[in-house]
Amino acid sequence: MLRKRLTTNCDDLFLPDFCAMRMVFVVVIIAELAAFVLALAPLELPLTERWNNLGMISLYVQWCALGSCTVLCVVRPWLCGMSNIRAGLISYALILLVIMLISELAYWFVYKPGYGETPTWHWHFLLRNLVIGALISGPILRYFYVQNQWRRNVQAESEARLQALQSRIRPHFLFNSMNTIASLIPAEPQQAEDAVENLADLFRASLSDARDRIPLGEELDLCQHYLDIEALRLGDRLQQEWHIAALPQDALVPPLLIQPLLENAIYHGIEPLPEGGTIEINGALDNKQIVIIIRNPLNHHSSQTNARGNQLAQDNIRERLAALYGKHGRLQIESDEQFYQITIRFPYQNEYEDPDRR
Amino acid sequence: MKILIVDDEQLARTRLRGMLQQLNGYEVVAEAANGKQALEASQTHQPDVVLLDIRMPGMDGLEAAEHLSKLDTPPAVIFTTAYNDYALAAFKTHAVDYLLKPVRKEHLQQALAAAHRLNRAQLQAISEAEARHAEPSHISARIKGNIQLIAVDNIYFFQAEHKYVTVGYSDGEVLIEDSLITLEKKFPRRFMRIHRNALVAIQHIAALEKDQQGHCHIKLKGCDKHLEISRRHLPAVRKFIKHH
Repeated sequence: MLRKRLTTNCDDLFLPDFCAMRMVFVVVIIAELAAFVLALAPLELPLTERWNNLGMISLYVQWCALGSCTVLCVVRPWLCGMSNIRAGLISYALILLVIMLISELAYWFVYKPGYGETPTWHWHFLLRNLVIGALISGPILRYFYVQNQWRRNVQAESEARLQALQSRIRPHFLFNSMNTIASLIPAEPQQAEDAVENLADLFRASLSDARDRIPLGEELDLCQHYLDIEALRLGDRLQQEWHIAALPQDALVPPLLIQPLLENAIYHGIEPLPEGGTIEINGALDNKQIVIIIRNPLNHHSSQTNARGNQLAQDNIRERLAALYGKHGRLQIESDEQFYQITIRFPYQNEYEDPDRR
Repeated sequence: MKILIVDDEQLARTRLRGMLQQLNGYEVVAEAANGKQALEASQTHQPDVVLLDIRMPGMDGLEAAEHLSKLDTPPAVIFTTAYNDYALAAFKTHAVDYLLKPVRKEHLQQALAAAHRLNRAQLQAISEAEARHAEPSHISARIKGNIQLIAVDNIYFFQAEHKYVTVGYSDGEVLIEDSLITLEKKFPRRFMRIHRNALVAIQHIAALEKDQQGHCHIKLKGCDKHLEISRRHLPAVRKFIKHH
């Protein structure tokens, strides 16, 4: 139970779990490859001698590798709470410490009694081992870090898709829409038809859109369809203000970037207010940055800031923006007594400028 | 049979009304858009059955049902809901009538034929299953068989005296039957215990005062009454005021 908790808390740590069998195996392979390089490198030695050296070097390198593995396995729970940079530096230092210890042991128990090596040789030996260790383990740690970042991005993207899917089929929304349509059929068949078409568009977007970017115009249309459905249901309680003329329709955005924010605005902002309110959607193009602001009135009894569903959708969009645009994609939340406002910013890229499509 | 339809969505009300027109023997006496209106309409029109939506702004359906159950002749309640798996399970186990939206005519007819009044235990169970984090918006007091609603925002304090609890609010004082413990549990974030017999509204606290005898009192904004703070609760109250 404890062990399980520790590993789940460790999700953010970039280092893999060195206690795992698979990881130990990977480390052994990497260490052996390094040993091969070290044994093959000195040209002045004849090939047979180099081959003989391989045994000794392997033994030494494997000791260092498995020793580091054990230490990192043991200190893992302790590294978990730290930032990646700190955990990385500490692991690096620990690995070098292990190398130093093993070098010392090798000197005192093997080289000194066996070959009668001098103290000068000792320092030389120690320094050489540390430098080689540092040069090899540094890039390996970096590789683990990059791999971890990549895995997190992939995860964020797939979670986003799943989340988008789940939130679209938020059962309340689906059944309420069905109820609205059922009510409209006898008296307002035309409106009922429109609602079915809008609902179909929304579901199509969330169920089957495999594109990773869509034109902003399409996303905004989808938002409009969504709000049209909600407007039928909420009647006068939902007022909309769109100021989006400045937005370039051809800008490429991840699908369902804005719609979940509107859904939150309705669910947490408009629905809990008996008299309803206005949702404002403002868009601007500011020095090649697209800025979209969504603002809704706040019901002071239900705290939108803490609501779980709200948080989920926002985290999700934030992560997707970060994955696509790095530090240029941002999501900001501001709220006071009366209003709740979300601002998203990301670089304007269209089909001709999109780096992925060139 | 007289029916009251309660739903915050106009279209949902229209649909139920249309269906009831097609069934024989039912008369829609009123429509309401939230729990508070439902309670008012129930007292004016004395419906036999209330079709009550659960998720509504202001006062939701579950809170409305709780206040309705205090009427002299409470109406039967049938809940309508779009979806909530937890609450549905509670409805089933506690034999509470509910209809899923979009409502089918046959189901509406069956539910109306079998409609019965709710008791407290049933309501309690559903409220828990629904896991609402919203605190009730109103307190209901019975005055000569009628229900008077007091917005929780307007309440200054609850003070226990003998069997009853006095509610001090913006328009005076009124007696209710709930116990202080229940009230404290119902409003953990909005009221604070200052004495074995008193809770005060956190948002109305003005100051803490000491008299010549060394007793501490709470002064409330907009209310002349000074309530004593017991020795036992003083440290907690002090700490709270310091942090706000």
